[in-house]
Amino acid sequence: MERLNQKMEVMIEIQKNNGSDALKPGAMLPDASLDVMTLLSMPDHLRKTAMTICRSGRATAEDVAGQTTRARAVESAYLNQLVIMGYVKKERKGRKAYFFIERETEG
Amino acid sequence: MSSKIIAVHSYKGGTGKTSLSVNIASTFAKLGKKVAIFDLDFRAPSLFAILKVENAEFWLNDYLNNTVDVNKILVDLSSRLTGNGKLYVGLANPSTEAIRDMSSKDRKWEMRALGRLLSLKESLIRDEGFDYLIFDTSPGLQYSSINAIVAADFVVVATTGDRSDVDGTKRMLKELYNLFEKKTGLVLNKVLDPSVTAKKAEIGVKVKATYQVPLLGIVPCFCDILRAEGNLIFVQDKPDHPFTRILSEMARKIENDEVN
Repeated sequence: MERLNQKMEVMIEIQKNNGSDALKPGAMLPDASLDVMTLLSMPDHLRKTAMTICRSGRATAEDVAGQTTRARAVESAYLNQLVIMGYVKKERKGRKAYFFIERETEG
Repeated sequence: MSSKIIAVHSYKGGTGKTSLSVNIASTFAKLGKKVAIFDLDFRAPSLFAILKVENAEFWLNDYLNNTVDVNKILVDLSSRLTGNGKLYVGLANPSTEAIRDMSSKDRKWEMRALGRLLSLKESLIRDEGFDYLIFDTSPGLQYSSINAIVAADFVVVATTGDRSDVDGTKRMLKELYNLFEKKTGLVLNKVLDPSVTAKKAEIGVKVKATYQVPLLGIVPCFCDILRAEGNLIFVQDKPDHPFTRILSEMARKIENDEVN
């Protein structure tokens, strides 16, 4: 029952922010720059996640959740949105998914 | 945890950012800390002149361009200080060509520059044992300044009594700092009424109500500082001056995380 409640809370949190973020048709930008102006233009919930990954460089959803004090599943959803938007890269190593910002490649 | 990376910023120019940056850095160094100050005002570099550094081989521009390691750009100024502290400076290149080059960077470059600033926490604070990094920024909403604010743990905002500065600072705090959830302290600088320092508590309440951020300090307009024309590291050269005492109090507040 407790696990079900936790899942419900996560779904409510994600739903709550669904209408306000930039994840709409045409908003997917491959290799978009996560610069400070982009951070400023993001909705609050995504900016918090993006700022955390900016500072960490490379992190799992659990690491990000540890910084933002939001649920791991919520951060996982936001990180995946940032991946689809082209701001963040994702790499799987075994069972873990790592999220990172590719800064050093020329573009 | 006390703040390790401190950005000094303002809405308008001429608010005394560079003087505050140099003297906050020197105050920490006088307390025995290992400190580096960086000139992030790429449009109008000034630290090279204020600190009279003529032997810089590499610049902060080079570090942000990813052509040199950060240790290459740091110039050791510790011999100018009394005590055991260490003071280093990373300068912005003052040549016209470099200023033009920095003004034409694209978003990808700015994103990488932010990454380079963020990585100073590992390369200098964790690996080289620096206690504080101070970023002297350009005024307003320049890319380099916002990068510095994002990379910093604490931001000192310098403001004067000028009407347009007050309005602009209010807007900047609300529309920039709040979005990045930055820990901030406000310095009322160049205050004309010398009696204000005696009313610090009262002014602190007013500042909090006006700007929604805590007051870090009040600095009266000292003719001695104006007369020095940027030629002094004031806290070093005038240890008994009231300005030095005010800066020591600010440094203590930052170090003990008492700005709230």
